[in-house]
Amino acid sequence: MKKLLLLGFFCLTSFVGFSQNVSLSGYIRDASNGEGMIGVSIYVQELQTGTQTNAYGFYSITLPPGTYTLNLTSIGYGQQTQKVSLSESLTRDFEMNDEASQLQEVVVKAEREDANVKSLEMSVNKVEMKTIKKMPAFMGEVDVIRSIQFLPGVSSVGEGASGFNVRGGGIDQNLVLLDEAPVYNSSHLFGLFSVFNPDAVKDVKLIKGGIPANYGGRVSSILDVRMKEGNSKKPEFTGGLGTIFSRFAYERPFLEGKGSFIVALRRSYIDVLAKPFLNEDLKGSQFYFYDFTAKGNYKINNNNTVFLSGYFGRDVFGADFGFNWGNATTSLRWNHVFNDKLFMNTTVFYSNYDYLLDSDLNNEEDQDSFRWESNIENYSIKPDFQYYINPNNTLSFGGQSIYYRFNPGQAEAVSGGESRSIGLPDKYAVESGIYIGNEQKVNSRLSLQYGIRYSDYRYLGKGNKVLLNTEGSVAGEQKEVTDIIQVGQGELIQQYGNWEPRFSANIGLGRNSSIKVSYNRLAQYIHLLSNTTASSPLDVWTPSSNNIKPQISDQVALGYFQNFDDNNYEASVEVYYKELQNQIDYTRNANLLLNPAVEADLLSGDGRAYGAEFYLKKNRGKFNGWISYTLARTERLVDGLNNNEWFPARIDKMHNLSLVSIFDTGKKWSFSGTFNFSSGTPASFPTNKFIWQGIALPHNYYDTRNSYRIPASHRLDLSATLQNKHAFFKKGESEWVFSVYNVYNRRNPFSVYVRQNEDNFAQTEAVKYSVFASILPAVTYNFKF
Amino acid sequence: MKSIFIKLLFFASVIGLSSCEDVIDIDIQDGVEQLVIDAWITNKDEDQVVKLSLSQPYFDNSTPRAVTDATVILFDEDSVAYPFIDLNQTGEYTLPREANGFLKENKRYALYVKYKDQEFAALSLYRPVPKIDSIAYEFFEFPFAGQDSTETSGYFAEFYANDPIGEGDTYWIRTTKNANLINNAASISISYDGGFSPGGGTDGLTFILPIRQSINDGFYQHGDSLDVELWSITPDAYLYLLQVRQESANGGIFATPPANIPTNIFNLDSRSEVKALGFFGISQVSSLSAKIDSTKARPSE
Repeated sequence: MKKLLLLGFFCLTSFVGFSQNVSLSGYIRDASNGEGMIGVSIYVQELQTGTQTNAYGFYSITLPPGTYTLNLTSIGYGQQTQKVSLSESLTRDFEMNDEASQLQEVVVKAEREDANVKSLEMSVNKVEMKTIKKMPAFMGEVDVIRSIQFLPGVSSVGEGASGFNVRGGGIDQNLVLLDEAPVYNSSHLFGLFSVFNPDAVKDVKLIKGGIPANYGGRVSSILDVRMKEGNSKKPEFTGGLGTIFSRFAYERPFLEGKGSFIVALRRSYIDVLAKPFLNEDLKGSQFYFYDFTAKGNYKINNNNTVFLSGYFGRDVFGADFGFNWGNATTSLRWNHVFNDKLFMNTTVFYSNYDYLLDSDLNNEEDQDSFRWESNIENYSIKPDFQYYINPNNTLSFGGQSIYYRFNPGQAEAVSGGESRSIGLPDKYAVESGIYIGNEQKVNSRLSLQYGIRYSDYRYLGKGNKVLLNTEGSVAGEQKEVTDIIQVGQGELIQQYGNWEPRFSANIGLGRNSSIKVSYNRLAQYIHLLSNTTASSPLDVWTPSSNNIKPQISDQVALGYFQNFDDNNYEASVEVYYKELQNQIDYTRNANLLLNPAVEADLLSGDGRAYGAEFYLKKNRGKFNGWISYTLARTERLVDGLNNNEWFPARIDKMHNLSLVSIFDTGKKWSFSGTFNFSSGTPASFPTNKFIWQGIALPHNYYDTRNSYRIPASHRLDLSATLQNKHAFFKKGESEWVFSVYNVYNRRNPFSVYVRQNEDNFAQTEAVKYSVFASILPAVTYNFKF
Repeated sequence: MKSIFIKLLFFASVIGLSSCEDVIDIDIQDGVEQLVIDAWITNKDEDQVVKLSLSQPYFDNSTPRAVTDATVILFDEDSVAYPFIDLNQTGEYTLPREANGFLKENKRYALYVKYKDQEFAALSLYRPVPKIDSIAYEFFEFPFAGQDSTETSGYFAEFYANDPIGEGDTYWIRTTKNANLINNAASISISYDGGFSPGGGTDGLTFILPIRQSINDGFYQHGDSLDVELWSITPDAYLYLLQVRQESANGGIFATPPANIPTNIFNLDSRSEVKALGFFGISQVSSLSAKIDSTKARPSE
């Protein structure tokens, strides 16, 4: 990899040497708090060309010397016009005001560049945090992951399930990044809330297709969550009291604005409220969840900025027994501007997810106890370079190396005073990737993005290599373990490598419309073993091995993008087709926990997903929001299941319609509403029953899977926000948010299943199970000063 | 330790929010009727019965049809035949109590069933079983009643037994409370080496606490009787019961994909399309009974 990087450098320096033009570069920041702004478009009127800021707010554009008019635009910030004279390369930083604070200003009417139509990105959805905060929230708690489920192509297996599904992908096929560090379990409370504190999140971007070469490691999507850097202009407190959480965040500049930081804390407080009502037996109970998010940045000089961010969250249930789980991530990043054309970010991160079950937290029982823990942790280094060759070519290249340690489960059981350790050995793996990609404007109509990533994966000792008899076993049944070989430290057990080409193109059809097409291949080397409808916190991540092959997906997408009314309305239609290889499924009664030969209980199959997504969004005005509709199909083919024929995947939902509307009166009140309709997920039912020992047992004579559908779900949520002038003591601002979840009190089915009647075990019945079966109103108070 | 139970319930109610279950009607396709064999042969001093019936559409709640015109024979390793006779034409093929007592430890037995020109067979092994050493119980009080119950206080019982050294011993724990067998499929209690499952490292230990406490169904009250039976089942019977339990309580957000319950009964003609359902098992049973007596309860913590 070093060699390749070095080679890259040589190429770059030679490019620079021959350049005739001069370049303009710098950062664009939010005027109110100094945050670097992501994805601001910089359009040069005279040359009808432009560029965008990257994830750190940096931009660079190469132009012939001259005087130019720049239009800076960003959704929610309107447009700003700047005159710049260039005789030699120049560094200019700009600041932009958000729309709310510039209502009085005269806005220059000019051509507005428009990302929806003009950018190369397709299958990408961004939701501004401002919008997320205005949408009706479940139990009044603003939630990033719940909000993105209103986007086209995104669904969930049911209300209250953890994670989200993108274009037919499992929840473990989304790479959820928090400041570039992966988050392994994005849920609190079994999936009811996501782990991201909305007060600390700056930007949320979901990439469903046309995934650029700098991303890798998961086969479905990338959810790139960026944290706020902290207000570098003035100290600020924000916070809120909700039904579930109380939140508090503090941000401020330090060293005369060269640096800033933010710390944000959330904690549920139902236990605090319940305490006085608990009797003696329950006094020591703990049941809460919290997360702590912090980030600081320091600008060493114009060319060097460092960022340090951390997240720590936990769910805790227990008393003298305990069950707790949580994520921790830390990432350190260094932004370096080599020169006005070459930008680098290097990220070093650590990420961990772990859980602990303990029957005897206080070590009071010496006769009988049980303690069990498991975790996944990794360390990574990831340098990324962006080289702005000329206005028509932006090269990105870089690499990543991740070191994984998996602890599939360590347990200690004491029975009758005798103790036994049940340990599965740790598993180790290294996943590395290098990539290079170019974004090229071929002419005013055609732009391309193309790149390639090579990923290399090594499953390493010290560990156990499990050998299975794959020939002699019945399809769909547990495989026979023929041998378990102990492999020494650092020894290679299995290696995989994959070339992952990425391509997308934008063909302009006029000022306001374009066609985009993309193809990408992605490889995934780690897998979440979960055989339940919704994922549970106990599910274990497992590495690819000699028996588990890496998952691979190939996706093509085609889209038509059109804007209307001076870009007030954005519309798009996309179709996609995705093929998945080496999808994990499970034998009947698969034992996924504390099983030394878990690989014997896994099946492998293929997947395919295809669909069409329709999206219409209104950006401006008192009344805005979007409609999205997805028509989709997701199927699996696994040897030994469903008579070896394709069957609908558990997450398959044919229709998915979402409406999000926000009405801002411009005065004290604002209102919002969301509606979602989605088809029922598939289900399997028995054909027959037989009585055995007085119990009615189910039997599916045809042995089919997922051949039925549960009823459709639909739900309306509303919220109203009352803006107060001041928070406390005539300072700051505050608001009351009143929200109602499931307004018309529908019992949406999570699942339908069959069971014995509880009064007569020989009788049978079908049951509809709803996670939320009532209206759930909530009130939240937010403040800022 | 006992309070874990209360606390778990408390959390479940806190977490449960507003979830609910509604019984509904659904339309499903019917399959083909199949022979069902329900056979457990034990050393218990009673008539040994093999029940034969036919499977029926899943939501057909009428009494299943008995199979009365079949031949049922048990064979030991030396091909000694023990015929079972359906005297009353109820589908209950019986070997009278007097003929019992022939089972020998670590010997294999085969069940042979002939029905409508199809011949079925299944194999099982008569394994040793440890004795139940004692039953203890302890009084405690709930802050509120559990699900489907009005009792807020009572006795919580556990039995003590030791798993013998040697991996792969599998058990079925069956409890009779006041002469009623606790026969809820969702709470079938099975054990692997005294623990929950293989790989639990519990070989040779006292049965672990959750298994020891699996003999409760709500609370016991003063004067209640309980009979605990420990059955030495074969590992494939363990897997069968595991699947029976799984498929009988497979709802909610952590349900697994429904799967057919495996059977150990096979058609002697392996090419035949006709298959049977059910299970045949041989088991040695040890048991211990107790009568709840408040003066003998273990002192509360």
